[in-house]
Amino acid sequence: MPQLLTNKRLILLLLGVILLVALISFSLRDRSNVSLPEQIIKDAVGAGQSVFSRPAHFVTGIFDNVDSLLNTFEENQHLKTRLEEFASVQAEVKDLRSENEELNQIVGKEEDLRDYNPIQATVIARNPDQWEEKIILNRGSNQGVAENMAVMTASGLIGKVTLTTPTTSTVELISTLNPNYRVSALVVGGDEEVFGLIEGYDAERRELLLKRIDADIELKEGDQVISSGLGGIFPKGILIGTITEITIDEFGLTQLAYVKPAADFSLLNHVIIADRVMPEVDGEDNGVTGDDES
Amino acid sequence: MIRFLIPLICLVLFFMEPVFGLFSPLNIGGELNYIVPRFLIMFLIFLTLYYDLKHAMFYGLFFGLLYDVFYIDIIGLYSFLYPAICLVASFVFKRVPRNLLTSTLLTLALLAIFEFVLYQFFLLISLTGMPLGTFLSTRLWPTMVANSIFLVMLGWVFKSVMVTQLSERDNKIGLY
Repeated sequence: MPQLLTNKRLILLLLGVILLVALISFSLRDRSNVSLPEQIIKDAVGAGQSVFSRPAHFVTGIFDNVDSLLNTFEENQHLKTRLEEFASVQAEVKDLRSENEELNQIVGKEEDLRDYNPIQATVIARNPDQWEEKIILNRGSNQGVAENMAVMTASGLIGKVTLTTPTTSTVELISTLNPNYRVSALVVGGDEEVFGLIEGYDAERRELLLKRIDADIELKEGDQVISSGLGGIFPKGILIGTITEITIDEFGLTQLAYVKPAADFSLLNHVIIADRVMPEVDGEDNGVTGDDES
Repeated sequence: MIRFLIPLICLVLFFMEPVFGLFSPLNIGGELNYIVPRFLIMFLIFLTLYYDLKHAMFYGLFFGLLYDVFYIDIIGLYSFLYPAICLVASFVFKRVPRNLLTSTLLTLALLAIFEFVLYQFFLLISLTGMPLGTFLSTRLWPTMVANSIFLVMLGWVFKSVMVTQLSERDNKIGLY
C-alpha cells in the first residue's frame, strides 16, 4: 500500500500547486479593497498582534532611553551651540506666522494645503519577511484612516496607506521598489520653489530618487525636499529629505536628484497619519485619478 | 488544557516573529543586515519529526494562511510552503538517524532552502531586484545565524514538549 499512499500524496501536491498558482494570481492583481474574510482575519490577527507588540515597544523604549543617556553630554554641547540661533529663528517664525495669518484673512483664504488632521498610530508589526517594505498600524477606517494617506514620523515622511480594515491599516514605506509609487515633491532652499516627483528608491545608496526636474534649474546639494501637496492626497510641507547628489537622468532631458530620507525606516514605533483638510482627489498621490484614466 | 499546548506555542511563535522583525534591518558596520525570524517553521519541522506529519501540515496550512493574509497580501505563498517544507522534512528524516543534533541541522538546512525558494519567488514577481550575492551576504547569512541561535536555545524544549505530548496521547489511546 505505500505505493498508493505516495500517489495520493502526489495528486494532493499537484492540486496544491494549482490552487497556489490560482490564489497567487488572484491576490497579485491590483486590488483596491480587501474581501470580507480577509478583513476579518486581518482584524483578528491585528488585535492579537497589538497585545504582543506592546511589551516589545516597552523594551525598545528602554534601549532608546539608555542610548540617549549615553549621548547626553555630546548632545548637550551641540544643543547649547544651537540655542541662541533657535531663539532668533523662533521669533522670526512667530512673526511670519502671524503675518501669514493676517494676509490669509485679507484675501479670505481659509483652507490651506498644509492643514491636516493628525491621526496618531502605533506600529504593531513589520512584515516579518522583509521583502516588501510594509508596516501595519493599529488604526483603521473606524478612526478615519483611508487609502493613500501620508504617513510620517516626527522627522519626516515614511510612506502611505495602501490597505485599510476597520481596525488596522497597512503602510507601504517610501523605500519600496514599487515603480507606481510616486510622491509629488517640492525643493525648497533655492531662490524659487522647484517641483519634481519622488519616484523610486536606490536600494544600494538607500536614497530616494527625485525625478523630472527641469534641466535649466540649478539645484544645490543640501536643499530640503518636502511634499508639495499638489498630488491630490498628501498635505503640503511634510519633510521628505535632503538632496545629496544631482545628475542627469537616463534620457538626458531632465535632472535627477538623490534624496536622503529624513526619517529613519528601521525601528519605527509611533507614527502620524495625515488626513488632509482640503478635499482630496481620488486615486493615488500623483497617480492615475478616476477621471483621467488613459 | 495541556491538549492545546502545541497550538498555543504555534500562536505565540507566530506573534513573536513580527515583533522580532521590528529590530531588523540591523546596521552593523554600515552594512544593513536583514534578520528574518522564522520561529514557526522551525517549530513545525520539529513537530513533523517528533510528533506527526499530519498535525504539522495542518498547523502549517492554518498559520501560513494567517501569515499570507495579514502580512504579505499574497494568498497561497506561505500556506503552501509551510506544509511543503514539513512534507520534505518527513521524507528526508526517514533516511537519517533521529537525534537532536541531526534534527537541528536538518531544520537549519530546510530553513535555508525555504529562504532561497522565497527569494526566487519574489525575484520572479519582481518585488525585489536584489542580486544573489547581496541576498546571501545580507539576508541569508544573518537570518541563519539568528535563527540557529534561537533553535539551539529552544530546540530541546520543543523536543521535550512534543515527546511528553506524544506519550500522553499514546497513553490515552491505550485507555480506550
